[in-house]
Amino acid sequence: MTSRRFSRESLLAGTVLLILTPLAARAQAQTHAPVPHFAEEASLAGIDHKYTGPWEFFVGGGAAIFDCSGDRKPDLFIAGGTARAKLYRNLSSAGGALKFEEVPLDLPERLVEKVTGAYPVDIDNDGIKDLAVMRVGENLLLKGKGDCRFEEANRAWAFDGGRAWSTGFAATFEPGKAFPTLAFGNYVDRSAPGAPWGTCHDNVLHRPRGEEGPDYSDAFQLSPGYCSLSMLFTDWNRSGEPALRISNDRQYYRGGEEQLWAVPPGRPPRPYRKADGWQHVKIWGMGIASTDLDGDGFPEYALTSMGDTKLQTLDKESEQEFPIYRDIAFDLGVTAHRPYTGDDSKPSTGWHAEFEDVNNDTLADLFIAKGNVEAMPDFASYDPDNLLIQEWDGTFTERGMEAGIALKRKGRGGGVVDLNMDGLPDILVVNREGPASLFRNLGGGTADNPVPLGNWIGVELHQDGPNRDAIGAQLSVKIGNRTITRDLQVGGGHASGQIGFVHVGVGVAERAQIRVRWPDGDWSHPYRVFTNNFVRIERGEADAQYWYPE
Amino acid sequence: MEKMLAVFFAGVAIVLAPVPVLSADKPWSERVIGAYAPFDPTAADTPEAAKALIERGEALFKGKFVRQDGAGRPDATQAIVPTKRRRPALEAFQRLSGPDANSCADCHFDPVLGAGAPFSGSAFVSEGFESADFDTVDPQFSNQRNSIALHGVGLVELLAREMTADLHDQRKAALAKARETGEAVIQPLSSKGVSFGSITARSDGIVDFAKLDGVDQDLVIRPLSHKGVIVSLRQFAVNALNTHHGIQAAERFGARWTGTADFDGDEIADEIGEGDVSALVAWMATREAPGRKAGLPDVWRKAAAAGEKRFAEIGCSQCHVPALPLESAIFADPGPLDTAGTLRETEVARPIGLDLEALEWVKALPRDEKGRILVPLFGDLKRHKISDQRRERLGNELLAQRFVERDVFMTAELWGVGSTAPYGHRGDLTTLDEVIRAHAGEATDVRKRYEDLDEEDRQTIIAFLRSLEITQ
Repeated sequence: MTSRRFSRESLLAGTVLLILTPLAARAQAQTHAPVPHFAEEASLAGIDHKYTGPWEFFVGGGAAIFDCSGDRKPDLFIAGGTARAKLYRNLSSAGGALKFEEVPLDLPERLVEKVTGAYPVDIDNDGIKDLAVMRVGENLLLKGKGDCRFEEANRAWAFDGGRAWSTGFAATFEPGKAFPTLAFGNYVDRSAPGAPWGTCHDNVLHRPRGEEGPDYSDAFQLSPGYCSLSMLFTDWNRSGEPALRISNDRQYYRGGEEQLWAVPPGRPPRPYRKADGWQHVKIWGMGIASTDLDGDGFPEYALTSMGDTKLQTLDKESEQEFPIYRDIAFDLGVTAHRPYTGDDSKPSTGWHAEFEDVNNDTLADLFIAKGNVEAMPDFASYDPDNLLIQEWDGTFTERGMEAGIALKRKGRGGGVVDLNMDGLPDILVVNREGPASLFRNLGGGTADNPVPLGNWIGVELHQDGPNRDAIGAQLSVKIGNRTITRDLQVGGGHASGQIGFVHVGVGVAERAQIRVRWPDGDWSHPYRVFTNNFVRIERGEADAQYWYPE
Repeated sequence: MEKMLAVFFAGVAIVLAPVPVLSADKPWSERVIGAYAPFDPTAADTPEAAKALIERGEALFKGKFVRQDGAGRPDATQAIVPTKRRRPALEAFQRLSGPDANSCADCHFDPVLGAGAPFSGSAFVSEGFESADFDTVDPQFSNQRNSIALHGVGLVELLAREMTADLHDQRKAALAKARETGEAVIQPLSSKGVSFGSITARSDGIVDFAKLDGVDQDLVIRPLSHKGVIVSLRQFAVNALNTHHGIQAAERFGARWTGTADFDGDEIADEIGEGDVSALVAWMATREAPGRKAGLPDVWRKAAAAGEKRFAEIGCSQCHVPALPLESAIFADPGPLDTAGTLRETEVARPIGLDLEALEWVKALPRDEKGRILVPLFGDLKRHKISDQRRERLGNELLAQRFVERDVFMTAELWGVGSTAPYGHRGDLTTLDEVIRAHAGEATDVRKRYEDLDEEDRQTIIAFLRSLEITQ
C-alpha cells in the first residue's frame, strides 16, 4: 500500500513556513522513492560458483549476461579465476523464482581457467552472441554456435589473445567496418622489471580487416597503459564518434591518470590530453557506469574506486568540444565512500557499477558491487554492495540495507538484469572467494508474493547486416513530456557485460513512444508501445513486435 | 532561471492567496473529501458496509470540491501521467483545458445523476503534455467529448475483464503451441462472439499483430470512453479527478511516483485516498443498467418491436450487439488490469468484492442457457473505423488519442440512448437519424442500408432506439 508522508492538515499547518521559506519547505517535502525487496537465491536457483585465486585474481571476477540458448532469456557466463568459468542456462519461468542449470563448456580445460571476466558481442554477425573472454594469459574470442555451445575462434579470426593480464573490454562498430572493433584493457605487466609498481601493460585495440570474416590481425597498442580495470566506448559529446574511456588503478601506475582516447574512423587512436581539456584524475578506477542522468543529452559517468565513487558530468561552462568534467558525486549523494551499515568506518572498495531503474519509477538508480581487495587493513572488510536509489530531486539515497543486498561478501563483477522476465531488474554479483549472489527483485512484495512497482518496457533492437544488435544505438523513450534515454553499449562495469532487452522503467505510464537513433545516426519514426511488455524493434519495420516469455 | 521564476511566481500565488483552513467536522462544512481514506478491503464485506461505501461514493460524485479538498491544480496539467505546467495556471478553473468542473455531477446528471450531459456539459480532452494550456476549441488542441452515462458501467467493465482474459488465454495457447511445434500459429481472436481478428504466434515467442482488429496490441479491452482507452472505473476516476477537478489521487500523484505529496502545488497533500477512489468506483459500478421504456403506447411498442427487428436485419447489431454474456458479476476493486499509477490488485491484501448479482436490477437481467447474465448493452466493446473522407462527421478531430487514430472509436453502447441526446462523441448531432447517417468507414454498408429503407422503416428503428432508456 502506498503510505502518506504527511497529512493535508499538516501541510496546511506548514503554509506559514512555506510563505517564509518556500524553498526550504519544498525540500522538506522530498520523500523516498519505492525500495524494491531482493531475495538472495543463488543456491536455490542452482548457481554454485566462486571466483577464486591468488593475487592475479584479486581483480576481475566478471560475468557475461546474454542469451546463448536462443530463448531470449539471459544466460550467465561467470569467470572463476583459478576455478573453471561456468556457463548457466536460464530456466526461470516468467515472474517465478530464478532457476539455472549449468551447461558444460565444451572447451579445453586450459581455456576456461584463469578467466577474469567476459563480455558478449555478436562478432561475426550471425545473430548468435559470441564472447570476448579476458584472462590472465591469452584472451579468447569464443564463437557462439547456438544452444549455448562455443568454440575458440582466435585462430579463425586471426586474433592474438596475447599473454597479458586482462581486466577490461569494450567493443564498438566503426563506420564502414563489417565487424566490431575490440578493445582489451590490461593490468600489471608482471614480467617487467620492478613489477608490479609502475609496470602497467599497454591496452590493445583490434580493428577488423576485410569483409569476408572477422580478421583481427591488426592490433594497435594503446600506449601508455595505466593498469586498466574498465573501459567503455562512449559518445561523450554526441558527435556520433564514440571515444574510449578507460578507468585505471592508481595502485600500480606511475604518472598515470584516467584516460579518454579518441578513436577516429580510419585513423589511429590518440589520447585526449590536457591541451584537449582532459583533466588529470587519479583514482583506483575499478568500474565505469554511464547514463544521461540530467537529460541534457550528454552521459554522466560513475567511476568506482577505493573510497569515493566519482560521478562526472560534462562541465556546461566549458566549450563543448572539450571533455572537461565536473565531479557531482557528493552533490548527488553517490560517493558511497564507506559501508552504510556495520561498525566498519574504513573506506569502501567499489568494483562493478551499473545504472538501472530497479524500482521502475523512471529514475536511474546506481548499483555498486563492493568488497575488500583481499585483506587490506585500511579498507572496510565488511563492505556491502550499494543500491543507491535516485530520488525525484536528482539525489540518491542508499537503500541496500532495506533492499536486502547487504551481505558480507567481496563483490567484484556482475550485472543488473531482469532474469525472470517480470520487468523487475535482478542483480548478479560475482564474489571473490565466496558464493556468487543472485538477488531476485521482488518489487514491493516477498518471494512468495512479488509485487510490481512501476511500469516498464524491455526493448530489443535488431538491424540487418553488421552490428545486428545495434550496439551504439540510443533508445529514446517518451512518456508524457519526459524522455528517457538509454545507450546500447558493450563495455564498462567491472569485467562484466551484457546484451539483451534494454530495460526502461516508465513509472505510471501505460503507453510510451520509442524512437531509435541507430548506430549510423539515422533516427527511426516513433514506435507506439504498451508498457509492461517486451518489444522488439526491427529497423525499417512499421511497428514494434511484442515478445512473450514462457 | 526558469525554475527560479516558477518558484517565485508560485511563492507569490501562495502569499497572495493562502488556503484558509476549513474545518471538515462542522455540519455546515463545504468540504467534500475530509480525512484521508486509505484502502479498506473489507469495505463491501457486508451489505451494510457496501451500502455505506456506495453512499460515500455518491457523496463524492455529487459533492462540489473546494480548494481545501484539493480542487484546482495550479502547477499540474490535466495529463494522466503526472506533468508539471510550464508556468502556474492563471485561472483556477478553465472550461477548455480544465479543471472544468468541481463536481462529477456537473457533466453526469442528465437525465439522472451519473448519466450524461447535453452539449453544454461536454468536455475537452487533450493529452495534456505539449499543449496543455489552450483557450480555443480549435481541434488541433483538443478533442471534444460528450459525457457518457455511467449506467450499467460496472457490468461493462466486468465484460471487458472477461473478454481480455479470453484474448490473453488465446494468445498464451497460440504461443505454447508455436513453441511446442516450432511452427507459426495463426490464432483467431474472439470473445463472447466478437471477433478481434487474428494474431500469428511464432515459435520464438514473437507475436505478429498485422491482422489484429479493434483492440490494442496488448489485447486489453479498454471499455471506457468514446475511444476505448480507459481500462477501468478506477483508472477513469483517477484520470477524471485530476483532469476535471484538479483533485489528485495519492495512488498516482502521490510521493511514491512524483516525489511529493502535493504535486499540483495547491498546498493540499494526498488529496484523495485509495478508499475514497474505491467509493467512487463502487458508486459508478452499481449504477443500474439502462432498460426498456415501460408503458409505451401501442403505436410506439409495435414500432419499436419492428424497429428492433429491422435494426438487426440491416446489420446494426453486428457492432451494436444486443447483449453480451457475463460469467460473474462479482466486481473486484482494484481489478486485474490496472497498471502502476492506479491501485493494483497485487498491492492490496485482497480487493474489495462488490456482489453486483445481489442487486435487484442485475437479478432481473435475462440469462442464457449456461446461466450467464446477458448484459443488454448494444455494443461489442470493440473499436471500429467509423468515418472516412466521404463522411467525416464522426472523425471530425485532428488529434489521435492515446494511440487510437482520429477516425476510430469504440462502438457506442446504445442502452439508454433514448435518454442521452445529443449524440456522437462531441454531442453535436441532435437526432438519432443524424447520428446514424453520420456512420461511415466500416459502417458504410449498414448506414447505406438504413438510408435505403423507406421512411416508415427508418422511423421504426428510431422508435426502437428511443425505447432504450435510463431508468428514472
